[in-house]
Amino acid sequence: MEQEVQSIQDSLRAKESISTPFDSIWTGADVPTVDPSALEQVMLSNDKLYVVLAVVLLIWFGFIFFVYRTDRRLSQVERTLEDRIYERDDEV
Amino acid sequence: MNKHPHIRIDRYALVRNTVFVWLTAVVVAGFLVNIPRINILEHTARNLYFHVPMWFTMMAAVGVSGYHSLRLLQTGSLIRDIRAMQAARVGAWFGVLGLLTGIIWSKFTWYVGTDVWWNFDPRQTMASLQLLIYGAYFVLRSALDDPDRRARIAAVYNLFAATTTPFLLYVIPRQLQSLHPGAEGNPAFSDITEPVMRLIFYPAIIGFIGLFWVLYTQRVRTAWIKYRVIRDPEL
Repeated sequence: MEQEVQSIQDSLRAKESISTPFDSIWTGADVPTVDPSALEQVMLSNDKLYVVLAVVLLIWFGFIFFVYRTDRRLSQVERTLEDRIYERDDEV
Repeated sequence: MNKHPHIRIDRYALVRNTVFVWLTAVVVAGFLVNIPRINILEHTARNLYFHVPMWFTMMAAVGVSGYHSLRLLQTGSLIRDIRAMQAARVGAWFGVLGLLTGIIWSKFTWYVGTDVWWNFDPRQTMASLQLLIYGAYFVLRSALDDPDRRARIAAVYNLFAATTTPFLLYVIPRQLQSLHPGAEGNPAFSDITEPVMRLIFYPAIIGFIGLFWVLYTQRVRTAWIKYRVIRDPEL
């Protein structure tokens, strides 16, 4: 684990003099001296791929939630419909 | 009391929950499983798990829709019309998503370094044509008012639309020069895909077809409510 922290810090330092718009740190900014947190170590690895995964999963779970809500609404409407049919048939 | 002569809600709920867990696993695996980096594609090869199943799903939807149109012509039962319509509608949405994801993918692989987003590649052109044929199906339906007449006319057209689909999506593009895999002079999926990717790709196809089934059933349920209400104006 310590080796990994060291290698992340090394790579950050190596980029200090590179100025491309997609650098991990802004040109001229101080290199972070705090050790990356456990969460950062995970999320920044693999070219930050896990950040995209988190975004996609959030959207996906939002979609699932929406489908469940729609199903519940449909069940309510169906119950209402059945009740009205029964009431009407009783009157006849 | 049988609320749904055509839909079993308990089975629907089981399939829905399974599909959501299944597809979540597919998405996670699609991102996390390491794949070989090859030229041009690089990480976009992971689109295989998401873009390609859109077309498999649309193909399945076309099959379901065509089947119910055939059954409508045999039986005249309007639930078949509802099912054919909703399968076509959800399937067309998967087709639109397949086309759009394909455009994004091609922009950064085939057309990288150019301003081109769309170059009338045969595969994409035929897929667009396919979606237009289904667009005409929805327009045709909206032009007819009498439910029984609409059901029969739409069913005949829908059978035509379903018949053209395999030709426009698979047969014709393979005879033409295309940048899309599986065309003339361009190896198809089977020759180039890493074995580990198949372990995610095939479950992804099953999962997305399951997702189609969930959305389709939900829409049939909605349409059935609407049909009951409009058929009986007293309610």
